[in-house]
Amino acid sequence: MRLFRRKDKSGEPWQEEALGLFLFDEVTDALAAERTLKTSGYQVSLVAPPPHLRAGCDLAIALARLEQVGAQRVLAEAGVHVRDWVDDTEESIRVCDVVTTVDFGQWLMVRAGNMKIVVDRDTGDIVNTSGGGCPDIPYLNLQYVGRRLSDVCRPKDVGFTLCGLMLDRAYLEACALLNQRILE
Amino acid sequence: MSLLVVATYPVEGGAVLEGQVTLSDEGGLTVDGSPVPASQGTSALLAAACQTASHMRMSMPRALVAGDIGRGDGTRAVYKRLAETASRVKPTVVVFHYMQPIMTLLRHALAELADACPNAVLVADAGGMYAAKAAGLARHFELMTPDVNEIGFLADPKVTHPAYVGHYLLGGGDFDPVALARKAYESGGSSRVLLIKGAQDHIIEEGAVAAVVDEPTVPALEAIGGTGDTITGLAAALLTAGLDPVDAAICASRANREAGLAMHATPAMRAVDLVAYLPEVLDTNLERWRGHS
Repeated sequence: MRLFRRKDKSGEPWQEEALGLFLFDEVTDALAAERTLKTSGYQVSLVAPPPHLRAGCDLAIALARLEQVGAQRVLAEAGVHVRDWVDDTEESIRVCDVVTTVDFGQWLMVRAGNMKIVVDRDTGDIVNTSGGGCPDIPYLNLQYVGRRLSDVCRPKDVGFTLCGLMLDRAYLEACALLNQRILE
Repeated sequence: MSLLVVATYPVEGGAVLEGQVTLSDEGGLTVDGSPVPASQGTSALLAAACQTASHMRMSMPRALVAGDIGRGDGTRAVYKRLAETASRVKPTVVVFHYMQPIMTLLRHALAELADACPNAVLVADAGGMYAAKAAGLARHFELMTPDVNEIGFLADPKVTHPAYVGHYLLGGGDFDPVALARKAYESGGSSRVLLIKGAQDHIIEEGAVAAVVDEPTVPALEAIGGTGDTITGLAAALLTAGLDPVDAAICASRANREAGLAMHATPAMRAVDLVAYLPEVLDTNLERWRGHS
């Protein structure tokens, strides 16, 4: 029996609630936690942990403190490993949400943060990916180039890092602009 | 004079490879005789470095790489082998490239290099640059090659990854790579020399503009994965050949643009297409560019 019902909340979680952070050893754990918690109806945000808690390419999840116990149970049930919880979001920073495009005529380039994806407007083919610095980016390049946007899994489901997450944002924007189906 | 590139290649579970890099006429790349897939990233850097080394009649670059698709396993394996490799090879230039940006491992690696090859010139791009900046180690590096999406990251002392620097990114009316480069240098977030890759390439020395390269203009290069990596490969190899870091950066920027022009670049082309034109571009121009930049 579930002790906590799924929640369906709206509104920006940063405005009124006192927040805390789930910390993770791996970016993939953070991404899995985000997916799991959102599926369960929690409103969460991906952020950089405060400086003294960072190890490098890391990611935390901000959540209303009062929801921590239930959310932690959901993550445990889903097998998502959480390193720690801290009752503080001071000095945490949100992930970049700036997305821009460049029109190359036949081709459209979408930038999200430090990542770029280039697609053929007519065919929906991915003709290039670039940017970033984490090792999943050349791997995603090999997996994606030459395939259609609608035929590939989302970068955040294939990649493992913050760079992969930024490529995911560029991918989603490219799908939206070309009216392409997103493979979930 | 030898160049060592420390990085990863995009093969899950791929073995640690250490040795000389070769580039075939068809564009195939090997490290210590084992093929490495051609993609954006370190293979583009290595291919450009090979072409440059060949032009300069130097020994081919060496690489220490391992398979890593983002889990960090290959990155850790490479760091584990670095001290032994550096002690044996005694590189004059070491480049840290596509790797998981793990601060503690880079800090440890720099301490090892200080023992093994204390005079080695350090270059960083991609994950190597992210780790160097995030760990407060950027000042140990002679050259970094951020693109315009990354210079804001170097300038902001609070962030540990470019994914957190939205307000500095392209499109804002106040975006100023020169001001950001100065801020990066003053806050310890940059190397002594920066090559900022963009529509205009800015070469920065100790926080001040040393040169701007904006010709020829080839906008499609930004869309082609790996064409920033080829600049880094060119610059690192030229540095290994003895060029001053500013000259190396300027010549690398020019060569990359000329190759992009020669290949009639479109957004659907590959870095290997650009690499194929580098011998012709270097043969025609490099002597003229050297010292006149």
